[in-house]
Amino acid sequence: MSVEEGVFYVIAAITVMGGMGVVFARNVVYSALFLILALLAVAGIFLLLSAEFLALVQILVYGGAVTILVIFALMLTRVQDMPAALDSPQKPFAFLAAAAVLAILILAAVGTTWPGQTEKINAIPLRDFGDALFRTWALPFEIASLVLMVALVGAIVLARGEDGE
Amino acid sequence: MMGMNDAWLLAALPAGAFAILLIFGPYLPRRGDWLSIAAIGASFVLFFPVLADLLDKIATPGALPGLSGWNWIEYAGFKLRLGFAVDQLTIVMLVVVSFVALMVQVYSVGYMKGDPHYGWFFTCMSLFAAAMLTLVLADNFLLLYIAWEGVGFCSYLLIGFWNERRSAAEAAKKAFVTTRIGDVGLLIGIIMLWRATGTFDIRETFEAARAGVMSEPYLTTAVILIFAGAVGKSAQFPLHVWLPDAMEGPTPVSALIHAATMVVAGVYLVARTLPLFELAHPAALNLVTALGLTTVFMSATMGLVMNDIKRVVAYSTINSLGLMMVALGSGQVAAAMIYLFAHAFFKALLFLGSGSVLHATEKSDVRELGGLWRKMPLTATLFGVGVLAMAGIPPLSGFWAKDEIVLSSSQHQNAFVYGLIVLSVFITGLYMARLFLLTFTGEPRDRHAFEHAHEAPPIMTVPNVLLAVLAVVAGLVVFDQVGEALGFPGGIGKFVYLAEPEAFSFHGDVAAVSIIAALAGVLGAFYFWWGEAKPAKAAGARFPFVYALWKNKYYMDCLYQALIDRVVLVFSRFIAWWDRKIINDTGVNGSAALAVYSSFRLKFLQTGRLPNYAFAIILGVVVMAIVAMTVLV
Amino acid sequence: MIPMQHFLVLSGILFSLGVYGVLARRSAVLILMAVELMLQAVSINFIAFAVYLAPDAFVGLIFAVFVITVAAAEVGLLLAIVLRIFRNQATANVDEVDVMRW
Repeated sequence: MSVEEGVFYVIAAITVMGGMGVVFARNVVYSALFLILALLAVAGIFLLLSAEFLALVQILVYGGAVTILVIFALMLTRVQDMPAALDSPQKPFAFLAAAAVLAILILAAVGTTWPGQTEKINAIPLRDFGDALFRTWALPFEIASLVLMVALVGAIVLARGEDGE
Repeated sequence: MMGMNDAWLLAALPAGAFAILLIFGPYLPRRGDWLSIAAIGASFVLFFPVLADLLDKIATPGALPGLSGWNWIEYAGFKLRLGFAVDQLTIVMLVVVSFVALMVQVYSVGYMKGDPHYGWFFTCMSLFAAAMLTLVLADNFLLLYIAWEGVGFCSYLLIGFWNERRSAAEAAKKAFVTTRIGDVGLLIGIIMLWRATGTFDIRETFEAARAGVMSEPYLTTAVILIFAGAVGKSAQFPLHVWLPDAMEGPTPVSALIHAATMVVAGVYLVARTLPLFELAHPAALNLVTALGLTTVFMSATMGLVMNDIKRVVAYSTINSLGLMMVALGSGQVAAAMIYLFAHAFFKALLFLGSGSVLHATEKSDVRELGGLWRKMPLTATLFGVGVLAMAGIPPLSGFWAKDEIVLSSSQHQNAFVYGLIVLSVFITGLYMARLFLLTFTGEPRDRHAFEHAHEAPPIMTVPNVLLAVLAVVAGLVVFDQVGEALGFPGGIGKFVYLAEPEAFSFHGDVAAVSIIAALAGVLGAFYFWWGEAKPAKAAGARFPFVYALWKNKYYMDCLYQALIDRVVLVFSRFIAWWDRKIINDTGVNGSAALAVYSSFRLKFLQTGRLPNYAFAIILGVVVMAIVAMTVLV
Repeated sequence: MIPMQHFLVLSGILFSLGVYGVLARRSAVLILMAVELMLQAVSINFIAFAVYLAPDAFVGLIFAVFVITVAAAEVGLLLAIVLRIFRNQATANVDEVDVMRW
């Protein structure tokens, strides 16, 4: 077992633990904290895959903005006041469905021969990445920014409420 | 230079007038009557260059007849051409239709004055003229059929012109339905011909038939079905019942549609397709003769006892149409067409004359008329000319034309047919003179109507005078000398006859018999109906059964009514029940009820709870993934 | 060397946890968190494919960028909606909001 593999298993374990914490925790605040853990661990995975830029973005966007938003939402909706009603009655079915999905995904991942697969991680230079993002993918990038703006405006309009409220 | 290739203009002009009147009619000065008259007048004027061109083409051997038209549908070997063609038959019809239509429309300006639907009347008249001219110009069966239905539709509109009167609405319906029975036959016949020959073109159909592509029974069936159309349109027995009722329409309509043009369309159709009849089994032509003869005899006898002035003229029309059919049954196109030509003028004259009487007295029952010649001398004179022409008194046109038919029946048919024809000439003289005597002579039977009566205005009398002049002289065209003087090489008989040249001929003995019969009829009428008409009443009292039979139109209306009540309505009720219970309640409402019920049940599947929907999505994904991994790999 | 399948399996586990969370949780905010987990799984997959299978095109990397972008937009919008529902219905539990029902 190489060092890389060891690091991977450690980070993967942290990720899975964070994920389980998100979905199993009995306290919503714990759930949120576990989410932060999972997100940061995924950033670690990104680093392992030599996608430094994405890891950075991950930490900035998720670790910062998204989790803050989620915690705000939790606070505003006071979910923590009703801990008994966290899980829905279809929980057993949910478990079965998730298990089925897991089985299918693992089977697919292991059972498929991937064409053109290389055995090592091919680092993608940041320069090439930026080049591609702002040349080849410039238009989708701009559209994505438009989506963000529209979402932002929409969120404000929705959350502001009706006149006189 | 106007020529035969532009003949479609004759039909296009009234059609254009119709379109303009339909949309802008109410906004035009005088409701646009002038436009309608101008269009048909232009058609009449355009007839002459077409005629001249046709004469030129005939003079040069081998020249093709004038054709114009356009391809309507062209698809994978199937070709449908809407074309116009001019030939000798068409020419006769063209002059009759355009001239009579022009006269009638001018007359209508006076007759229809003040009618609330004055503009609509001229709109319909334009449409009729367009459809009728298309019918005679059509060079293929399909266009002919379209125009055929077009004139039938106009007839329906115009019979029911005063549709606020229940009897008029009923008559329009009766006319439409009755002629439809024949039209269905015509359509089937056309389709049969098309299936066998692959073309709708009339000339090509003839050639194919001559080449023998159809077996004799097949061809015979087809032509008899085509003849069924003619029976309906030309009011032949047993479908003649609609024409007397059609007199509910305005009188100019009766004159144009139900005397001079539309009803002779059936005669024209048979004349046009006569080559097919001749190729078919002789039974086909014998059927034409037999039905024509039955029609002649029945209508003549019924005309004797009818009291409505327009109805009597209507029966005389059926009588004339029957005569034309008899001529066609003998294969004598020229005789039929010359009678058609002359008949159009004197019959329109008779109708317009009775229209003048109607206009003046507002009575149409001869029992309430009488002595009118003192009030309306001009109308009485003109009507008298029409009566004598119809009766077949020389030298009026009716005599010459009828003589041709009598002659052809004497030469080409057996003695029985000939005898019946001569008898019908006698009866025709009888009832036509009766009509005149009861209307215009004797003592007025309704004082008020008599006092009220007045001579018609010039706009109505001038067309009458023109028609009367033609009614007098039109018959002279049977003489080859007259025909040649008018520019028809070899006389009109040769010109019109399609198959082989045959001039009109004149046999002294035959003519003498028919003159004697007609004169006897007219004089007999004087005996029966002059003055108090005692002999007529005595005869009626002596033969009550015959009188009742004629008076009740041979009980045909009763028979049809019984047929409709007993058979058609029972069947219709079953269809209605089927439609209501099976189609509606089970089929339409049933499926709707099923949808309502099942959705009422199924809606409970919709919990409205998001997790359930999400679960369904995941389930679907899992199933799809399993399918993809097991079945598809 | 880490085989690519390791990353795929990790992403599968993460995704299944997300599925479970979406189905089992009642609170809209918690469901949202589970959705984030699923999105993370997708991103891992994309990047793994990019670096192992097509290092020259690295489309997966670009996709991951868009996934993060859209996820951010989605979180903002969804939280606004949740707040809205909470204000109107006095609950953030999605199974109590059943006005879509028959």
